[in-house]
Amino acid sequence: MSTRRSRSTQSASRISDDQINDLVSKLQQLLPEIRTHRSDKVSASKVLQETCNYIRSLHRDIDSLSDRLAELLENADPTQASVIRSLLMQ
Amino acid sequence: MSPSQQPTSTNPSSLKNQFAHRFIRALKTLNHTKTGAAHDHNQMYRRSIRVKIASYTAMASVVGSRRAWSRAVLWKIIKRSRNQGLLLRKRKRRNPNPKREDFNPFRNSGQELKLRKLVPGAETMDSWCLMGETADYIKCLVAQVEVMKTLVDLYSIT
Repeated sequence: MSTRRSRSTQSASRISDDQINDLVSKLQQLLPEIRTHRSDKVSASKVLQETCNYIRSLHRDIDSLSDRLAELLENADPTQASVIRSLLMQ
Repeated sequence: MSPSQQPTSTNPSSLKNQFAHRFIRALKTLNHTKTGAAHDHNQMYRRSIRVKIASYTAMASVVGSRRAWSRAVLWKIIKRSRNQGLLLRKRKRRNPNPKREDFNPFRNSGQELKLRKLVPGAETMDSWCLMGETADYIKCLVAQVEVMKTLVDLYSIT
């Protein structure tokens, strides 16, 4: 058991540099701000920080959109929903 | 249920379509169960919470069991619906593998811990899986926001 764990941490530290940088750059591609700068040497901690901020802002967007949808649904005609659905399916 | 359970999780438009399908279905159910009562503040708040939960549930169910974050979301929803009448407080889950946190290639545990709090089900993953899950989670959140914006636009025109 202990040998397996030490082996896994050893192998993990062996793969850490290259592939972790690869993962970090992939994550970087998804972030809207850093993507525009296109600099190679964005530090990993900056990417993580931007990721956290981005996820939080997406959560806030979803909250406010839920509020708007709840308001709009109050007045919505139920037949409209099927019309909208057919529009979206196309 | 839906026949289009495509294995390609990377196709954003199919993700949006499937999410829109399930989300709108959930919204219709919500609409039918409303009581048509007075527009008081508390009720509006509760409706918006239900819409929000429907949105996250719909996205998690589209992704299904492919991802750890979607499994965590669905599990949370199931647990909550089971505990509905019992008013149980959410208990902080202890990390069953505390040794795992030693594997920290970023060596900036502050940021990574914050990330783990944001991504569902991420507390006990190792850093490797965390990155992949975060990327997928962000893609799905973006799709979710886009579909909801489209819906808001459509509903506010008519």
